[in-house]
Amino acid sequence: MRAPSDSSPQTPVLDVRNLTISYTSARGTQRAVTDVSLAIMPGEVVGLVGESGSGKSTVAMAVLDLLGEDGVIETGDILFEGTDLRTLSATERRALLGHRIGAVFQDPFTSLNPAYTVGDQIAEPLIRHKGFSAAQAAPRVEELLAEVGIREPGRIARSYPHQLSGGMQQRALIATAISCEPRFLILDEPTTALDVTVEAKIIELLASLCDRHRLAALFVSHNLGIVNRLCSSICVLYGSQIVETGRTRDVLADPVHPYTKGLIAALPHITAERHQRLPSIPGTVGKAAAMPTACVFAQRCPFVEDACRNQAQALRKSAGGRDTRCWKSDALKEAPWPTEAGLATARKAPTQQTAPLIEVEGLCKTFDGGRSILPWRRRSGTVAVDHVSFTIERGEVLGLVGESGSGKSTIGRSILALIEPSAGKVTFDGADFVEGARQGDRDLRRRAQLVFQNSAASLNPRKTVGAAIARPLVLSGLTEPKARREKVAELLSRVGLPIHYAERYPHELSGGERQRVNIARALASEPEFIVCDEAVSALDVSVQANILNLLSELRDELGLAYLFITHDIAVISHIADRVLVIYGGTLCEEGPIERILRPPYHPYTEALLSAVPRLARAGDGPERPRILLEDTMVTTSGGCVFRGRCPRKRGAVCDEQAPPVQTAADGHRIACHIPLAELAAAAPVFPDLVA
Amino acid sequence: MFLFTLTRLVYLGVVLVVMSILVFLITQAMPGDVAHLIAGQFASKEVVEAISIKLGLDQPLIVQYGRWAAGILHGDLGRSLTLEQAIAPIVIEALIRSLVLAVSALFIVAVLGIGLGVLAAVRRGKLSDQMVSGISYIGIAVPDFFWAILLILVFGSYLQLLPTGGYAPISDGFLAWAKHLILPVITLVLMMLARVARLTRSSMIDVLQTNYVKYARAKGMPERVVIFRHALKNALLPTITVLAINFGWILGGVVVIETVFSYPGLGRLLLFAIQRHDLPLIQATILLVSTAYCLANLVADLLYAFVNPKIRHSMSNN
Repeated sequence: MRAPSDSSPQTPVLDVRNLTISYTSARGTQRAVTDVSLAIMPGEVVGLVGESGSGKSTVAMAVLDLLGEDGVIETGDILFEGTDLRTLSATERRALLGHRIGAVFQDPFTSLNPAYTVGDQIAEPLIRHKGFSAAQAAPRVEELLAEVGIREPGRIARSYPHQLSGGMQQRALIATAISCEPRFLILDEPTTALDVTVEAKIIELLASLCDRHRLAALFVSHNLGIVNRLCSSICVLYGSQIVETGRTRDVLADPVHPYTKGLIAALPHITAERHQRLPSIPGTVGKAAAMPTACVFAQRCPFVEDACRNQAQALRKSAGGRDTRCWKSDALKEAPWPTEAGLATARKAPTQQTAPLIEVEGLCKTFDGGRSILPWRRRSGTVAVDHVSFTIERGEVLGLVGESGSGKSTIGRSILALIEPSAGKVTFDGADFVEGARQGDRDLRRRAQLVFQNSAASLNPRKTVGAAIARPLVLSGLTEPKARREKVAELLSRVGLPIHYAERYPHELSGGERQRVNIARALASEPEFIVCDEAVSALDVSVQANILNLLSELRDELGLAYLFITHDIAVISHIADRVLVIYGGTLCEEGPIERILRPPYHPYTEALLSAVPRLARAGDGPERPRILLEDTMVTTSGGCVFRGRCPRKRGAVCDEQAPPVQTAADGHRIACHIPLAELAAAAPVFPDLVA
Repeated sequence: MFLFTLTRLVYLGVVLVVMSILVFLITQAMPGDVAHLIAGQFASKEVVEAISIKLGLDQPLIVQYGRWAAGILHGDLGRSLTLEQAIAPIVIEALIRSLVLAVSALFIVAVLGIGLGVLAAVRRGKLSDQMVSGISYIGIAVPDFFWAILLILVFGSYLQLLPTGGYAPISDGFLAWAKHLILPVITLVLMMLARVARLTRSSMIDVLQTNYVKYARAKGMPERVVIFRHALKNALLPTITVLAINFGWILGGVVVIETVFSYPGLGRLLLFAIQRHDLPLIQATILLVSTAYCLANLVADLLYAFVNPKIRHSMSNN
């Protein structure tokens, strides 16, 4: 399809040498990237991995000359096909973008301009760089859309971004990136904002495009599983420096640098023994100094010695491109990341009451449509939740898994009566919760709390941490200041924060610390039940492990029940006792987690499980071929809601009748037209699941 | 787009009916009886009653409103009590003069304000931004009549380049007509420019930080295309609203400017009508001003839908 590369095979497509970048702001200079070197050969996909603040996106933006006014390259060269980009003028550099360097960004919803059609936006680079006229570009745009797997390219080209699903939007961005047939792509977290099943399809598409066009790419991501699928080699960034590089397989299977070891260990294992603490990396990422005088990871490293704190670490080269920024790397080769002792105390035995804590019956929520006297303005409402029933026992963790728009957050908020259900009943310890809340029953409210995903937005920026935690105490009648201060201090230590944090403001805390404050605030009213709505989703892997451990501890010591809402199967499999799988507002499958992870599967659960990116860790087992779903919208009226995307659709019966609920062992229930026996015959997604 | 326009037109119709009722009721509530006013202070009771019957003032309100509204629908706005002639030609003439003023001021404000706003946003924090901001503050802070008087003093009295006020019909020659417009237009521009420029600046700054602007750069679009094609179209939404509100305001509300420059537009006509207690004239003028206001907002809504496809679809798709 393309002429062979005219540069000699020895020349890397991208060669970054000793790059050091700082951001200057009113608060001073902040080092973002320190002495980063990496080379990408033609056709090679290199992963740049790190947590937030590690500097990974800064490297990508430096290549694109999009650092903004505050970002300054202090030293280093960026060579693209042998030319030092820094010697070019701004206009010359801009002309390379979209032409010979394509880019795909994280969030397709915001990367497309809402004011123009998708086709217009894909055509822009063609018109600009290749001299196409608008009329010449149109057929080429449709070709490109077809190439990225869009079935109705003509219609999609004429659509505006808001009319497309997230997966379609990301495909349109990829079509833009490859429109001028570049040799090199910058992929900055291209699937992070997408659902797992959509992510699987986009990764597949990127892999096949890179393969077919012999594209080289820099793939920036925090997700080791995705990197494992796409990248031949990998650079791990921590605190602005590269701490480890090597072939992806080698690095993931046999990490050498302590940080890489910790990062891999902290990822929840689907197949691992449950009811154990996740290994975690203590502490938080420190701010990078202008010139490091110690190992950047020394503060959090369990293998730390005095020598680590005395001098900055150099990158030690070794065979096969395995470089490590740790002087002890040889000694640590076999040392595993320390595992933490099992849970501090045994799980609190459930009280002798047999009735479930929460019973939800026939919960429905329809968001209003347009009511209008003008006939063309009327429209039907959106069904967010459709007849969902379940129970939560005392001290039980019920996982609720689903994609964006599946109605999982609506369920969480409806059972706390934060939004009024359209129909159905929520019983909390025998009392009607919705009715109680409506009549202002403070005690019911006290007993059920909520922790949100966005730790920053759920705290008032103008109130200290102490004031935020004290608020529910005041509401519950604890007015004496001294007793209140003591209680706040107790709660802070309960969630593992120092007592003096009570005086701090939310912006002075890291994301993980803020989430601890949110948990402390939820605990203040001594609840029996907490809804965790994507409570760990926005956190970095190492911090996520800490918060999951904290939540498990609280459950065990206080006998708390959780409704744990998430899109992350690995997290659910770690913490949940029972799981509800929800799609398009209806329950597909329900059962104990051990049952959910094994056949029989609901076809949606099966696709969801197979789409989870996995590392080639010991015990992860061979990857089963992924079940790829079409990224079409949810079909609601009549029949099964999943039929539009179902790879095992039986025919007319799926379109016409709602699927029957079939019951297997242990309260494992599946809503599907396919008989249980047939569903049970599916190959297990995790064959070596610990019994 | 058709259904969107249709929806807006239906809304407009409803608003106009409600407004006509309000205008009618407000003028009814004004102190003083029309028949008394016409008949004069010393008229006998019989004369007043005769006038009442002649004007239909003895009928129930709903009948009076119905007659008035039916007249309007036939293009008959009634007769002025003080000027003793048909109202329609008077208000239409005043409307045209006000429109000339409004359209030319609005055009200049739109071009200059958006231009300066974009300049300030792109050169944020630099000298040109600070100059635009500084001048904007002065424009906002100083009251309108001060600008008007200052301009009259400098260009009218002192330099004697331009007339100090009044109006010349276009039949007196284009130059004379235009000369009378310059000072009021400049005053209006000075008053509105600051708001438009600052608003454009702040929404432009927001849009310049969006991902799609960053992505336009990553596609290799030159900065000019990034700013004018990708950013400006999205940044214009709030500016369009403010321009539309300003348009309605110039048409009906710039009594001060029209008075200072003795400009015979709608604002002065309304003032005259109120002073003379000329009810039919008040009703007609207010109705006209509010209709113009509604139409300006309709244009803004249509521009909104043109600029933002999301609005277009949400209003017409099912």
